[in-house]
Amino acid sequence: MLWKNTYNELIKISAKPRSYIGIAALTLLIAIILFAMKADGSKYISFVTSSFEQTLSFNGNILNGNLIAFIILQMLIVHIPLLVALVTGDLLSGEAAMGTLRMLLTKPISRKQVVFSKLIAAAVYTLILVLWLGFLAFIVGRWVFGTGDLIVLNSDGLVILKNADVLWRYGLAFLVAFLALMTISTLSLAFSAFANNSIGPIVSTMAVIILFTIIGALDVSVFDHVKPWLFTTHMASWRSLFNNPVPWSDIKESVWILLAHNVLFVTIAVYKFQKKDITS
Amino acid sequence: MKILFLFSLLFIGQAFYAQNASQLVKAIRLKLEKVNDYSVDIHIKAQVPMIKIDEVDAKMYFKKPNRIKVESKGIAILPKQGMAELNYFLSDEKAYTCAMNGNKMLNNVNTAVVSVIPLGDQSDIILVKLWIDPKKELIMKSQVTTKSNGTLDVTYYYGDQAKYGLPYKMVFTIDVKNFKLPKSVAADLHQNKKSPSNTSQKGTIIISMRNYIVNKGVGSSHFKN
Repeated sequence: MLWKNTYNELIKISAKPRSYIGIAALTLLIAIILFAMKADGSKYISFVTSSFEQTLSFNGNILNGNLIAFIILQMLIVHIPLLVALVTGDLLSGEAAMGTLRMLLTKPISRKQVVFSKLIAAAVYTLILVLWLGFLAFIVGRWVFGTGDLIVLNSDGLVILKNADVLWRYGLAFLVAFLALMTISTLSLAFSAFANNSIGPIVSTMAVIILFTIIGALDVSVFDHVKPWLFTTHMASWRSLFNNPVPWSDIKESVWILLAHNVLFVTIAVYKFQKKDITS
Repeated sequence: MKILFLFSLLFIGQAFYAQNASQLVKAIRLKLEKVNDYSVDIHIKAQVPMIKIDEVDAKMYFKKPNRIKVESKGIAILPKQGMAELNYFLSDEKAYTCAMNGNKMLNNVNTAVVSVIPLGDQSDIILVKLWIDPKKELIMKSQVTTKSNGTLDVTYYYGDQAKYGLPYKMVFTIDVKNFKLPKSVAADLHQNKKSPSNTSQKGTIIISMRNYIVNKGVGSSHFKN
């Protein structure tokens, strides 16, 4: 029954026009970035390397598909949560708003299974978004700009990675990005369990992301003990995969914290939904 | 009379030293002028603070007077100056004057230290200091100070191409104190956890050369961008 309901949830997601907003927005945004980089990418690169280029010269194809994929991932990972929450924040509350929740619960399926089927559907949607992002950024980026060594700017300097050493990093980076976006999915699902309208959980999710991001960005010592526990702090942990050597312990820590948030949000969603009075 | 004699000695000594310095630089210039073009396989090992890069293999082409091109499959970091500028600067003997600054032991070689000062103010080079092996007439070390890029130290090691003044290894010591990272781009997750791994103000780039092909012709196509 769980898988049958999950299948139904996927049909519902695919039937909603808003589900395609995310894919369309991603396509448009990446097309704009690719066009901008093709037209004037060298200026963007020189912004990063200018202080080094007074003393050093960089030989080789710097503006290549690997760098474009990194730039796209870095730029869009901030905005994709909105596209995810737009669909996943609506999964429970949307049904409550439309009055279909009562009908759904007349089926021989437990409330916990309803939440899990919606969670699996949300995970599939998030995965499709991440795969689409990966296809446009990595495959199309490489097709347009070619391949080459990847030059990455970190807080402690430039890291230049060999072309042959990049593919597995992107594979893991997209996995970590997927986990980060799943945290957004589960958060919005948890909010969705509390609400009876679509807008509330979506706005609440974005409000939490903005609040946590601002706390994370504030260089104030009072937040130093809080920052390591905010999921937004660890959403950018995919970036650490492009360090040399890779800080595996830091990445593992981020993955555990993101997983813990996922479990927490799903638990809240299940608990609230099981206690919820279905009055609509 | 004694004072006049001492001044004369000093003047003659200075003139002898200057002539000696010019002769040394001229000998090197003549050796370098034998090279019209060359291609060489290079191996680049960069140890520069704030830059992490693996060792890179590349091919370098040179053509007179100062055209140089490095072709590599990946990204290769090279010093902005120092590959051909010094040779080009020394090729015009009317553009500079030389002065001897004594002798110094360098890698078990008693080198003559020569300062080469540009005569005009149009050159980017402000001062060149050369450590010359007077017996082999080879530059063992150079220190080039330019208006645009500060000071660059290069140490040279010679093998079977010493007859052309071409080294098999060059060690560049570069000043990195002006390196700055754009903060808005550089922000990353673990920036508060770690202090910069290297606070040194100096970096080195070691370029090893092998398979020199000298004066066999290098096509212009290599120098097209």
